Amino acid sequence: MFEKILIANRGEIAVRIIRTCRELGILTVAVYSDADRNGFHVMLADEAYHIGPAPSRESYLNIEKIIQVAQKAKAQAIHPGYGFLSESPAFAKAVNDAGIAFIGPTVENILAMGDKLASRELMKKAQVPTVPGSQDAIKNLQEAEQVANQIGYPIIIKASAGGGGKGIRVVHDPKELSSALRACQSEGLNYFKDDRVFIERFIQNPKHIEVQVFGDTHGNVVHLYERECSMQRRHQKLIEESPSPSVPTQVREKMGQVAVTAAKSIQYVGAGTIEFIFDNNTKEFFFMEMNTRLQVEHPVTELVVGLDLVKEQIRVAAGKPLSFRQEDVKQSGHSIELRICAEDPITFTPSPGVIRRYRTPQGPFVRLDNCAYPGYEVPIHYDPMIAKLITWGKTREECIRRLQRALAEYMCTGIKSNIVLHKNILVHPTFLDGTYTTQFIDQQVAGKEQRELFMFVDEHVFLIAAAITAYNDAKSRDVSEYNLASHWRKLGRLRQLRS
Amino acid sequence: MYFEAKANGIKYQMNVNESRTHWKISLKTESSDWMNYDIPKQDFQTIDQTISFIFKNSSYLIDVIGKGTEYTVFTRGAHSVVEIYNEEKLLHESLKSGGNLGQSNSLVSGMPGKIVKIFVKPGDIVKKGDPLLIMEAMKMENEMRANGEALIKSVSVKPGDTVECGVILISFEKPSV
Repeated sequence: MFEKILIANRGEIAVRIIRTCRELGILTVAVYSDADRNGFHVMLADEAYHIGPAPSRESYLNIEKIIQVAQKAKAQAIHPGYGFLSESPAFAKAVNDAGIAFIGPTVENILAMGDKLASRELMKKAQVPTVPGSQDAIKNLQEAEQVANQIGYPIIIKASAGGGGKGIRVVHDPKELSSALRACQSEGLNYFKDDRVFIERFIQNPKHIEVQVFGDTHGNVVHLYERECSMQRRHQKLIEESPSPSVPTQVREKMGQVAVTAAKSIQYVGAGTIEFIFDNNTKEFFFMEMNTRLQVEHPVTELVVGLDLVKEQIRVAAGKPLSFRQEDVKQSGHSIELRICAEDPITFTPSPGVIRRYRTPQGPFVRLDNCAYPGYEVPIHYDPMIAKLITWGKTREECIRRLQRALAEYMCTGIKSNIVLHKNILVHPTFLDGTYTTQFIDQQVAGKEQRELFMFVDEHVFLIAAAITAYNDAKSRDVSEYNLASHWRKLGRLRQLRS
Repeated sequence: MYFEAKANGIKYQMNVNESRTHWKISLKTESSDWMNYDIPKQDFQTIDQTISFIFKNSSYLIDVIGKGTEYTVFTRGAHSVVEIYNEEKLLHESLKSGGNLGQSNSLVSGMPGKIVKIFVKPGDIVKKGDPLLIMEAMKMENEMRANGEALIKSVSVKPGDTVECGVILISFEKPSV
């Protein structure tokens, strides 16, 4: 086993990884940019190294620097966390070349799944269902028309290298096809230097459901069941749960098997996630892409199957076999994760700044993966997520009640946070009955008035608290003015005494 | 202490008074009557750097950040920006706007006070900087001046009147050239 691990990340995930390392008796090395000297991961780790200025490109994405630090600190392995360099084949290769273990998949794994179009072809060959669509990149309008007619409207056009909502168009009407095609190609070229696009069926009631898989270097590949991540804003996940309330038992088993097939077909090593788009009308599921890293939402799986995924990652990277077999994996109860972000709950614009008061929820079956504290300044340079609130319950209902309870205990002031948005979602009938789709936020929450969102607070409370504070401020100003006056009086008395 | 406040686009008038044991708060919007709250001080106290406020038997943990005229109140995961003006701040605001002339066709009292002296009568034409009236508030006499050329249409107050906040004192018209 390793004696020392460098964590090439920041924020809550760095903290999360440090915790497991500690439990395994492994020393930890944190790295930090100029903006993160006060980061919780820096304080928690055994060692900490400065790696550069605040912009990620010059620090957390600086491959050379990170490897230099790992060598200097004599770390035997590097955990990349998620985001940053976690899915960079160049980084994985550089780590391996330096004689350090990369706690993640092989370079080949990352390469195989890095290109959406290529990975889809790979999966088709492995008999993994994919969304009906074009075989290859679309060459021209005639071909686009042909494919679209074959699979039926509505269709979606996607740039091969696209992401983050760029290079994607939904076409409902054949008349819109040619302009949408042109738009996708030019966006692909402009944003990703790649004008290849493909066409597929557009699923009207889509749910995002993914399966956690795990492989080791001994040829074992298992799955740890599904997570539903349909609650999204701006194409980013907000709430994740396991199991999904929408997947019937037989489909669940099938999804697991398919995910294992997919991972086995590329001899996958370590923690990975197969993302499916799930048609909530037909209960069909189709391969979307594979994430070759530990996911943000891995804790819900951990709570439901009772395994520490980071621990397994470290074992696998050290060449050990997985500590469990497929038949040992049982889903028990229900778990939901809420991403707590420093952002406006209505516009979703990030709200960096100094957190003043910070009280976090505790109590039975509550887990908080967190990197904030009172006085912590949320930097403007990185993702606004400051914590993940996760609860476990015997049933989904119990789990939701527990989350509501935990949210009521959560206090974060000084910056805007989406805590109040979560409170609203957790009482929404479409969330409660589990039928929500990836369009939920756009359809049910976007454009809400602040007043509606803040229904948990009597408006007069805001006013009274502000008014009493303003009153006290004015009063203390008067007192200080009075004290100033009394100094003159003192001086006067002094003079009188002298004369 | 008299305040005018604005939160979530709604304007409020407020009175905050303090006794040894209670906060006496009254507030009204433009369309509502005065609502009075008698809040025992023990129901609004600071515990571990946070305000614990029991309001209508609902327990709130509150943090208020800000100073001057803008306070942000955080509670129950929600936050609200409350603009708040005491008489002193209202005076600054009304003086800053120079009696509103030019943007609007009336001079409105920016705060409650007493009219001391009026310099103009209907039919007068005033130039920028001409004194219009003197109003006493916060134990200070404040001269309101014209900030543009105008014809005085009507004067709605007389010396000695006490006025509430937001009352039209003088109406103007653009002078015909």
